[in-house]
Amino acid sequence: MGFSKVIRSFLDDRFDTKLAGDLINKQVYKRLPPHTGWAHVFGSLALVLFLSQTVTGILLLMYYRPTPDEAHASIQFITGEAKFGWLYRQVHAWGATLMIASVLFHMIRTYFMGAYKKPRELTWVTGVLLFIGTIGFGFTGYLLPWNQVAFWATTVGTDSASKVPYIGDWLQYFLRGGDAVGAETLSRFFVVHVIILPWILLGTVAVHLFLMRLNNLATMERVGEEKPTPRECGIPFFPVHVAKEAVVMVLLVAVLVTLSVVSPWEIGEPANPLMTPPHIKPEWYFLPSYQLLKYFEGSSGALLGILACSVPFALLIFWPFLDRGKERHPRKRPLAVSVGILGLTAAVFLGYLGHISETDVTFFGQKYHITLMGWPEKITGDVGASPPLIDH
Amino acid sequence: MGIPAMMYLWPAARGGSTNVEVEGAIDLKPGRSKTLQVGSKAVIVVRERSGFLAFSAVCTHLGCLVKWDADSKKFLCPCHAAVFDGNGKVVSGPPPAPLEAYVVKEIGDKVYVAPPA
Repeated sequence: MGFSKVIRSFLDDRFDTKLAGDLINKQVYKRLPPHTGWAHVFGSLALVLFLSQTVTGILLLMYYRPTPDEAHASIQFITGEAKFGWLYRQVHAWGATLMIASVLFHMIRTYFMGAYKKPRELTWVTGVLLFIGTIGFGFTGYLLPWNQVAFWATTVGTDSASKVPYIGDWLQYFLRGGDAVGAETLSRFFVVHVIILPWILLGTVAVHLFLMRLNNLATMERVGEEKPTPRECGIPFFPVHVAKEAVVMVLLVAVLVTLSVVSPWEIGEPANPLMTPPHIKPEWYFLPSYQLLKYFEGSSGALLGILACSVPFALLIFWPFLDRGKERHPRKRPLAVSVGILGLTAAVFLGYLGHISETDVTFFGQKYHITLMGWPEKITGDVGASPPLIDH
Repeated sequence: MGIPAMMYLWPAARGGSTNVEVEGAIDLKPGRSKTLQVGSKAVIVVRERSGFLAFSAVCTHLGCLVKWDADSKKFLCPCHAAVFDGNGKVVSGPPPAPLEAYVVKEIGDKVYVAPPA
């Protein structure tokens, strides 16, 4: 008897393997709705990136040391001394940004195709929670290299928490583990980044996938009028859709390695708690909030700013319960599509303003200084940007 | 279980000295400044012709550290362009409150700063 037969016989004696096999086959060979195409691969892409982040993160943990005295030096060691350490660090850093982008594209596709509607509201809600969790990964992981930009971006980020009404000061104190960003903050962010968030995300991914397989992908039919996809019209999950996903995965590996080599993330200067560098800016996914917060001044303004940044996330979570129309096709949902386009345009515009604020740019041959608020000021002659601050 | 866990997670006060000598203060020329750590907070000490001034260096907007501009005699925040006057009051920009003033004591040729009582 061959080895595989021995294993098979061992399992057959103990489990209902026929039932298990039927369940797996049903999932593998199920038919997807006819409109399923390349736009449907972003969810799997995000999942693969999550796995890649887990593997590269575990490898980085072998040498990373989460203390203010050693964190920056350990990153330097990983990059310069450990074999292929530079590659794992770069793939991890770029993987983070691509993971957030994948989750965003996946949400955009789901939104515009009306796939969040009944009976898939909870799949959408778990998806938004995954998006928030992914951003949380970005926020906590950003501090770990303990460089100047990371330190001060975290200082500004955690300071924003103090603007939350009633509990703001406590919240900030709790997040930082003290009055200011320091050793306790690094420990807290490290534990959240490598233990708490991965397990929360893993559990949420499991629920998300379970719900998705339970209800199958949404068709473009009206709510309540969806019919099971006939075998002759549906797209086979295996091998057709799996092949598309495989192509995208190969491209992903190519893009990750290319970005790591062509555009590596700098280690930066070690954190200096007594010197804020000029014009610190957060990562691209925080730029819209960063820019929006600037327009709210004074004590009540800060609160309004926090509210303005929170409303989009609250709207996202509750959207399936607010938009109760039966249509899924974007052409038949002008209001929802307009809200979506408006929200995306505002986020891109604010993000771009945040990116170019406090820099000099050239539009149609004319040089402008973009102020803190994002307004362009014409530069005449050789006058440059705002004067540098005086050093001690 | 929950309450002890929350109490455990609540940051324990680390203490640290709150009455700190400003190293090299006596050599600081008028108009110049020095930033130092007092407890867990950054404090900026400015030497004026009339004596020493000390404020929390933490901008009340979003926590960046201000710098002293000797020419304009103002504190400038590098993050969101806030400007505070020589008394720590907001001149322009988004901060909701003035810089917190610290107590300065000159004993002999030594200068000490401490948080307000």
